Amino acid sequence: MSKLSTPLMVVRFALVAVLVILVGSSGVLAQDVAVGSATATVQAVLAVTATAALAFGTVYQGIPKSIANNNASAGIYTIAGQGGAGVSVYMQLPDYLNTSTGDDRMVVSFSTSDASMDSTNNVDPASFGSGWQNTNPHTFPSAATVGTVGQNQSAIFLGGKVIPSVDQAAGAYTADIILTVAYNGS
Amino acid sequence: MKKIDHNPCRHNWPFKGILLSALIVIFSLSDVMAGVLVSPTVIFLSNRSRTGRMTVQNPTDTKQEVTVRFSFGLPESDSLGNIRVNLNDSISTDPNSALGWLKAFPRKMNVEPNATQIIRFVASPPKEIPDGEYWARVIVRARAAETEIPSATDENAITTRLNMVMQTAIMLKFRQGELVSQIEVTDLQATPTPENVEVMVDISSKGTASYIGMLHCRLLDANNNEISKTATQLAVYHDIRRRLNLPLKGNDFKKPFQIELYITNKGRNDIAAEDMISGNEVTLTQTVD
Repeated sequence: MSKLSTPLMVVRFALVAVLVILVGSSGVLAQDVAVGSATATVQAVLAVTATAALAFGTVYQGIPKSIANNNASAGIYTIAGQGGAGVSVYMQLPDYLNTSTGDDRMVVSFSTSDASMDSTNNVDPASFGSGWQNTNPHTFPSAATVGTVGQNQSAIFLGGKVIPSVDQAAGAYTADIILTVAYNGS
Repeated sequence: MKKIDHNPCRHNWPFKGILLSALIVIFSLSDVMAGVLVSPTVIFLSNRSRTGRMTVQNPTDTKQEVTVRFSFGLPESDSLGNIRVNLNDSISTDPNSALGWLKAFPRKMNVEPNATQIIRFVASPPKEIPDGEYWARVIVRARAAETEIPSATDENAITTRLNMVMQTAIMLKFRQGELVSQIEVTDLQATPTPENVEVMVDISSKGTASYIGMLHCRLLDANNNEISKTATQLAVYHDIRRRLNLPLKGNDFKKPFQIELYITNKGRNDIAAEDMISGNEVTLTQTVD
């Protein structure tokens, strides 16, 4: 995305974007107008997205490789919605990565401190703001929220470790990481 | 006693909320590689209107593969007042489960970049179903439709790709008949710690529908000066225990302290007024020992 060069352009872009949402997404917002006052009901959204995959890069037989959750190669999920609302967060993590043909697999592990959950709108794993640092990706805190009031986004940074065996077949290995999010207050 | 502001959201919140939410979501999703945005976050069906819809938007620059299925899960608490939604994919034993008689159309689709897809829901409840509210979770799963595994830099090397898959679990409620939303606080305890007053409140649903609202709590000194306050969203389906921590800020407050609890279903701007079932309000005070 091209950078916006002046504050005015940022404001213009923001206004256009808001209008696009207000006008173009009738399913997202509903507005009721009453005599003498205007009220609006926000049909809240929940957006769970990934901005970066956990990337181990190239690895070699017999040489484990770790990525810390504050590394630039950490996986990044974002949860955007109603600021400050409590959410349940679950992550299903694989035990192995598999080749596309399924004839070999490689161990992948996630320790109890391989995740961080940042509730400050920050999406850079190297500059953790506030929240839960080095937490367990298998059990996220029950007090997790979508950002804070006025800051409607949290980010999860995920590290991990791959452990190729000494006779691991060369090739490409894949697996899924599944993040599930539900509002606690509805 | 000071007048209590029971509605902290009244200060022109809706429009500010719309603008802020929209801006933050737009800017934060500008460089997203995978994921979708779903709305609304609660879907309401009834015996008068057995169909509903949900919007799934793809804010990314890549095609998303989206699937929709149903599960069951209510906000539940443990003995410490921690809240979690535990999803149960098998048929639930909860008599208010709607699993088994809900359908979604379509259930699998590809959503093009920046496109929107409407998901429609149809409820076919059993005949002679008792009046009440029936629940399920809509699980929307999204992943990039096309993924590439990075190529190795040499032929003996190993490359990896971890596919980031996202799921949102949205509450769906089917309402049969005329319903009542009502709660009762069955226990309230306030325990001081060096830095906080920890409040435990046990709440039971006594109505025929879930209670959706806000839980407000204030910590007051002997002169009714406010020391701290907190507010959180509340959803009561059966019984629930909530824990609140009220910070003890400052040393110039006169003891004994007391907590003031206020539960209302006003102030929920995330749910349309026509979908809210007006419920009772509860106000309680308790001295902190």
